Amino acid sequence: MVVKVEKLVKRYNDLIALDHFNLEVKEGEVFGLLGPNGSGKTTAINCILSLLKYDKGNIEVFDKPMAPDAYDIKRDIGIIMQNVAVFDELTVYENIDYFCGLYVTDKEKRKKLVKEAIDFVALNDFKKFYPKKLSGGLLRRLNIACGIAHKPKLIILDEPTVAVDPQSRNNILEGIQKLNAEGATIIYTSHYMEEVEQICSRIAIMDKGKIIATGTKDELKSMIEIGEKISVELFTKVEHILSDIQKIKGVTSVNYENDLLVIKSKRGYNNLTNILDYLKENKISYGRIYSELPTLNDVFLEITGKQLRD
Amino acid sequence: MFLHIFLNRLKCLIRDKQVMFWTLMFPILLATMFKMAIPDVVNLEKFEPIDIAVINNVEYQNNIAFNSALSSVSSKESSSDLMFNTKIVNEEEAKELLKNNKISGYIILNDGPKIVVKESGFKQTILKQFINEYLQVTSQYHNILESNPASIQNFISELGSSESYIKEVSSNNDAPNSSVSYYYALIAMTCLYGAMHGMKEVLSVQANQSPQGARVSLAPTNKLKVFASSILAATVIQILIILILLTYLRFALNLDFGNQIGYIILTAVCGSLVGVSFGAMVGSIIKGKEGLKISIIVSFTMLFSFLSGMMWLDIKYIIANKVPILSYINPANVISDAFYALYYYDTYTRFFTNIGVLCVFSIIFYLITFFIMRRQKYASI
Repeated sequence: MVVKVEKLVKRYNDLIALDHFNLEVKEGEVFGLLGPNGSGKTTAINCILSLLKYDKGNIEVFDKPMAPDAYDIKRDIGIIMQNVAVFDELTVYENIDYFCGLYVTDKEKRKKLVKEAIDFVALNDFKKFYPKKLSGGLLRRLNIACGIAHKPKLIILDEPTVAVDPQSRNNILEGIQKLNAEGATIIYTSHYMEEVEQICSRIAIMDKGKIIATGTKDELKSMIEIGEKISVELFTKVEHILSDIQKIKGVTSVNYENDLLVIKSKRGYNNLTNILDYLKENKISYGRIYSELPTLNDVFLEITGKQLRD
Repeated sequence: MFLHIFLNRLKCLIRDKQVMFWTLMFPILLATMFKMAIPDVVNLEKFEPIDIAVINNVEYQNNIAFNSALSSVSSKESSSDLMFNTKIVNEEEAKELLKNNKISGYIILNDGPKIVVKESGFKQTILKQFINEYLQVTSQYHNILESNPASIQNFISELGSSESYIKEVSSNNDAPNSSVSYYYALIAMTCLYGAMHGMKEVLSVQANQSPQGARVSLAPTNKLKVFASSILAATVIQILIILILLTYLRFALNLDFGNQIGYIILTAVCGSLVGVSFGAMVGSIIKGKEGLKISIIVSFTMLFSFLSGMMWLDIKYIIANKVPILSYINPANVISDAFYALYYYDTYTRFFTNIGVLCVFSIIFYLITFFIMRRQKYASI
C-alpha cells in the first residue's frame, strides 16, 4: 500500500475537519479525492504529509509510519500544491533546480532531471523567464515541474488546475496520465468531477471530513438509482406534459427549468424512444434532445442531497 | 546542499527590488539628504560673534575699565573665538545700524553703561549678561575699595586666577563633529533594516508562512539546516549593504569616521547580526502576510532610530538622562552609541560594552526564533 490512513480525526477548535477519515491508495493508481470546497481534501493531504497536527489516527506511507523527519519517505514524494509555490526572484530554470536540489545533491544528475522536468511541462521557451512574466497556465506548469523534477514515486496534486485555461488544463491532465504511465502513483484532489472522471482509476468522494463513497467511476455510478437522464429543449411548459411523462414506466423525476425538461429514469430503463413517441403523438414542438448517463455529481447529489459545487 | 541553498537564497535576496530599496537605496538617499541638510544644523550649533556698537563719547573714552573689559571679549574682525564684533561709532550711526539690523544692539555710556536694542533675543540676552557682569564686578571692586582697601590686591588676584573646572580632552586625534551622530543613527537604522532579509528567510522555510516554505518543509532535509544556510545568506547580504553604505559615506560624502576601520566594521557586523535576527524573530512570531511583517519592521526600525537621535539629536540625551534603560534596550541606540564611543573616547570600555549588548540581543532573538521554528507540525496552515 502506498498510502494508508486509518480513522484520522482533525479538529480546528469546535469544527471537525476530518472525521474518522480512512484512505487506501495502491501502487500505480491515479486516485482521485473528490469533494466540494471545504470538504477536507487539503487538510487530509497536509496531515498525510505530516505538515498538520492531527488529533487521532494512523498514517502510513510506503508501509512506514509518516513523520516530519521521515526523510527516506519524503525523498519519494512529490507535492504540487493548490497555491503556486515558487520564488518570484528565481527564473523558471533556477526554481526547478532549487527545489530539485533539496532532494538531489549530485549536480550532473540534477541538471539532467531539471532538463527532463522542463521538457515534461513544455517550458523550454520560458527557461529564463521569471514567474511574474508567466501566464496562469504556464505558472501552474512550473509549479508541477518543481514538484516532480526529482522523479518521486508518489505524486500528490492538490487542485492543480484551479484558475487555469482549458488548454493548460488538458496539458496538465495529460501530463499526470503520463507520469502515472511512467510508474508514479498519483493522488489527485479536485472539486472538478469531469477531471476526476477523466484521469482517475479510483475515486473517493468526500463531504464534511468523511469519505462517503469509494470506487471506480462505474462502481460509484452503480451505487445510485438513476440510470439515464434525458434533457429536452421545450419552449412551452404545459402542466399535463409533466404529469404524462411521470407516468412512463421507470421515470423517477421530471423537472422543467430554463426551457429544459429533464427526465430521470431508474437504472435499467431506457426511455428515450418513449419520450420521442410521446412528443410526436401530442404534436409538441421541441428543440434539441439528448440523453446522458449519470455523473459523479448525481452520485454526490443522491448521497448528500446537495450539488457537488454547492 | 548547504551551498546550493545559500547561493540560491543570495540570488533571491539580491533580486528582491523592494527589500533592496529599503535596505540599501533608502539609507543612501537619506545619507545624501543629510549631507545637504546637516551643514546648516552644524552652523546653528556653532557660536558666531555678536555684532554690536559702542557710542564713542567722552565717558567711553575716559572709562578705561570698561574699554578694557569690552576689548577682552571683542574683536574688530570677525572671529569665532570672541563674543562680540564691536564697532565704535557715534549715536546717529549706531541708530542707523540698529535700524538696518546690522547690529544686535549698542552700548552707550551715560552715567554707566546702558544698552539699546530693537528686540529681545538670544544675542541681546548675551549682551545684557555681559553688561550685568561688568557692573557686578565694578560694584564689588568699589565696595571693597571703600570698606577694606587692604584686601583689594587679593580680590584682583582672585579675579585673575579664576580656575576652570572644565578640561578639554582630545578625541582620537580627530576634531569632534556633532553631525556624525546623525549618520551613526542612520547606519544603525540600516543595520536594523537587515530585519527584512531575516524575515524573508523565515518565510521561505516555514510551512505555515508561505507555500514555498511548505514545499521546503516537505523536502527530505532538516528544516533548521535549510534555515541556517538561508540566514547566512541574509547576513552576508546585510553586511555587504552596510559596507557599501560606509564606503559611500566615507568616499562619496567625505564623512570622517576616524581611523579605526576595524572596529567600525566590527560594529557594522554586530549591528547587521542584530538586524537580521530581529527580522527572523518578527517573521516567526507574527502570523500574517509579508506586507504586515514589513510594516512592523519598518515601524519599529523608525521608532528605534528616532529614539537614537536620527531625526532629533537631543532625544538621545533626554532618554539617556530620563529613561536610561530605554537606551540599553534600543538596538539602534546601542549601535549608534558604539560608533559614538569609538569616535569620542580614547578607551574601548564603552565600545565593547555596546558590542557585548548587541551580541546578547542577537542571541536572544535567535533563541526565540529557534524555539518557534523547531516545531515540525502545525495546528493550521
